[in-house]
Amino acid sequence: MKENRIRILYIDDEIHNLNAFKASFRRSYEIYTALSAQEGKQLLKEINVHIIIADQKMPVTTGVEFFNEIKETLPEPIRILLTGYTDVEDIIDAINKGHIYSYIKKPWDEHELHRTINNAYEIFKTRKQLQEKIVELEKTNDELNRFIYSTSHDLRSPLMSVLGIINLSRLDNSVVDPNGYMNMVESCVLKLDDFIQKIIEYYRNSRLEVEYEKIDFNSLLNDCITAFKPQNTAILFQTQVDQSVDFRGDTFRISVILNNLISNAVKYQKPEEANPMVNLTVKVEPHKATISIRDNGIGILSEHLNNIFKMFFRSKNNNKPGSGIGLYIVKEALNKIGGTINVASKYGEGTQFEITIPNRNEFDT
Amino acid sequence: MNSIPDLRVILIDDNEIDLLLHEKLIDLQQISRTVLSFSSANKALEFLSSNISLPRIPPTIILLDIQMPEMDGFEFLQAFDSYPQKIKSQCHIVMVSSSLDYGDITRTNANPMVVRLLRKPLLVKELKETVSLIFKDFV
Repeated sequence: MKENRIRILYIDDEIHNLNAFKASFRRSYEIYTALSAQEGKQLLKEINVHIIIADQKMPVTTGVEFFNEIKETLPEPIRILLTGYTDVEDIIDAINKGHIYSYIKKPWDEHELHRTINNAYEIFKTRKQLQEKIVELEKTNDELNRFIYSTSHDLRSPLMSVLGIINLSRLDNSVVDPNGYMNMVESCVLKLDDFIQKIIEYYRNSRLEVEYEKIDFNSLLNDCITAFKPQNTAILFQTQVDQSVDFRGDTFRISVILNNLISNAVKYQKPEEANPMVNLTVKVEPHKATISIRDNGIGILSEHLNNIFKMFFRSKNNNKPGSGIGLYIVKEALNKIGGTINVASKYGEGTQFEITIPNRNEFDT
Repeated sequence: MNSIPDLRVILIDDNEIDLLLHEKLIDLQQISRTVLSFSSANKALEFLSSNISLPRIPPTIILLDIQMPEMDGFEFLQAFDSYPQKIKSQCHIVMVSSSLDYGDITRTNANPMVVRLLRKPLLVKELKETVSLIFKDFV
């Protein structure tokens, strides 16, 4: 008996049908037969078949009833229903209830049945392969995510030790450093750490369930501004929040989006600008919130505007290259919560991002 | 700084450099004259159990790392929870970690034995604030 032969279970209460089936098909397939649904179920406990053929008209349990019963426990085998009557009700019932692949009329045409069995087996095989691929992909994806996670943490720990050493050297004045090398080391370490933190952010965005809670944009914006203000104290922040209705959204992702956009607005200022500013406006409506982040910084070259949301894209025409991941994370986070983003920028004059985020508040419940 | 004369600090961290850094920091800031460093949670537990027989246990601050091989910071906390009240009441646990993991942070904040979670690199200002928070009733 070859292992790769198609295994078929045929259930029919008429013994001569079973015998006729075996006579015509036993050379091509591995055939098991049963005289009742009960007997068939018993057999299925022992043998994994690829295809099940059942007669509709049987005493006690009909073919459709049988298929319906085994639907949960045995979803894989492909089902074929046989019947002497061309009863439309039967067919509809069979397709709806029992997940039936095909319907064959009795007496069967040998060629037709051959073809149907072979096609059914093709489907069985394809489904099986697809399932295996899904399992494989899920595993790879999971491993990749865990890899990103543990690597980021393992990278970060020695980096924090370096920062600790720099801090200590300043505290006890033990390093003579007239050229400011320590400061350079520190700024490199901080840059690397920023990148690692971005990777962790990306990881959390892709893994974490979306969770909706009440958001107060005034306090959210204030938190962001407090965090970024020390980076450039010359910047004037202007905020205008119009929130007369409650807003519900995913706090983690919305703050990731705001943090990245405000961080860029602060970072990409013109060094010669006398009045650097970052303008933030929020307008909350019952169905959405519209947030605009506008700066008078260096701006983005128009030919780069289409690429800024791509992973690892960096605009070349600035002397402060970023990690190329911040805006990508913004876009990914917006995808997760169903938001949109638009950008308008003039090189040398400034940039404006406008995002809309659906309001998940249900006002009438 | 040192208002508690017999205050001692126990450092638990698998990273030798961080142990050294924290030792120096405490020394420079004169937070405590006694600093005991352990490179594994198990060794620290061993030391603490040898303290049980002491007639008087000095006030102790434990700076505890989260991610360590063999026994991590959370497992240390669990084991230490079974120690007699006599010693637990004298030990104030401060977690120190470079972890940004949300799970680690919420677990730390939820643990009643932990006074505070401090980020690495350990900053003088934060360490001093935490020490004075712990001993505010002594001053």
